[in-house]
Amino acid sequence: MAGVMETEEQARNRFQLELEFVQCLANPNYLNFLAQRGYLREKPFVNYLKYLLYWKEPEYAKFLKYPHCLHMLELLQYEHFRKELVNAQCAKFIDEQQILHWQHYSRKRTRLQQALAEQQQQQQPQAPSHGNTTSK
Amino acid sequence: MAAAEKSTKEKLLSTLDDIEVLSRELIEMLALSRSQKLPQSGEDTQILELLVQRDKEFQELMQTAMEQGRVHQEMQTLEKEVEKRDSDIQQLQKQLKEAEHILATAVYQAKEKLKSIEKARKGSISSEEIIKYAHRISASNAVCAPLNWVPGDPRRPYPTDLEMRSGMLGNISNMSTNGVNGHLPGDALAAGRLPDVLTPQYPWQSTDVSMGILPPHHGNDFGLEPPGHNKENEDDVEAMSTDSSSSSSDSD
Repeated sequence: MAGVMETEEQARNRFQLELEFVQCLANPNYLNFLAQRGYLREKPFVNYLKYLLYWKEPEYAKFLKYPHCLHMLELLQYEHFRKELVNAQCAKFIDEQQILHWQHYSRKRTRLQQALAEQQQQQQPQAPSHGNTTSK
Repeated sequence: MAAAEKSTKEKLLSTLDDIEVLSRELIEMLALSRSQKLPQSGEDTQILELLVQRDKEFQELMQTAMEQGRVHQEMQTLEKEVEKRDSDIQQLQKQLKEAEHILATAVYQAKEKLKSIEKARKGSISSEEIIKYAHRISASNAVCAPLNWVPGDPRRPYPTDLEMRSGMLGNISNMSTNGVNGHLPGDALAAGRLPDVLTPQYPWQSTDVSMGILPPHHGNDFGLEPPGHNKENEDDVEAMSTDSSSSSSDSD
């Protein structure tokens, strides 16, 4: 890891490496790979994961192409999650759920928006009724 | 009144007793002298004098008693005043406490409001940037699957083995030779099979926006190079494609 003093180029390289790595965390299979090789048990690695939380800040997050990685990163802060990832079944389950969510995301969102629009429509007719009483 | 002195009431009563005794004696003497016709000039004058004295004392004591009564009344009035003032003060105290409570609440709420304003200001991002970013992550199907996606399609909401291997992480060992093409030498299969969508330099890896940003400084040594930084990376990554159950592995 870079020492206290690093050149700008080293810092830039480190930036790109960390950008790539944090996004790799969105891949449940990679997480399973890391877990099975024991990386997730090592304290320095856990510290590194905590350090990577800086990607949640907006000025860094804007570079992420795969935002799922942030959720995985948050989950990885918990020891229980890290322990569970050793199972291949667990990783497979996460993978399936992730893909299903990814698949149906647009449909879910439109449904949610429709529900919100309906809710607003229900509230709105009450407002015009105040004006109607004068015409009656 | 000092405890040693007799109270006015007692003095009055004793004086009255004296007067009573003296007047009784006088009357007895008069009655006696009338029946006996004996000159008792000395005694009756004495008794008369004493009587007059006692009477004077009595009058004085009455005056004192009246004074004392007046003073006592004044004291009572003053006490009432004091009570009234006391209750006024208590009332004011209650009101002050109430006011303080209200002000404290108001100040607290104002502080909370300021905090939330600060928080909102901190998190404020230009809407243009948000739209740009939303466009970026949606256009590349990173957040939402393409409409024609079916199981079997290699695209994923995360970087696939291929993308991981061809990035900077996957090529640390030969970064000096890493020109435009990020493929590993043994990756001829993948090289021939790349769809046009996946260009060698994946946008998720590069800082295609301004290069001004640098990662946060970390002074302490984590003690371990994160995986992917070692030379063994290639072997590990090869092994990973067999681990993954995704259908993206181009095995045929």
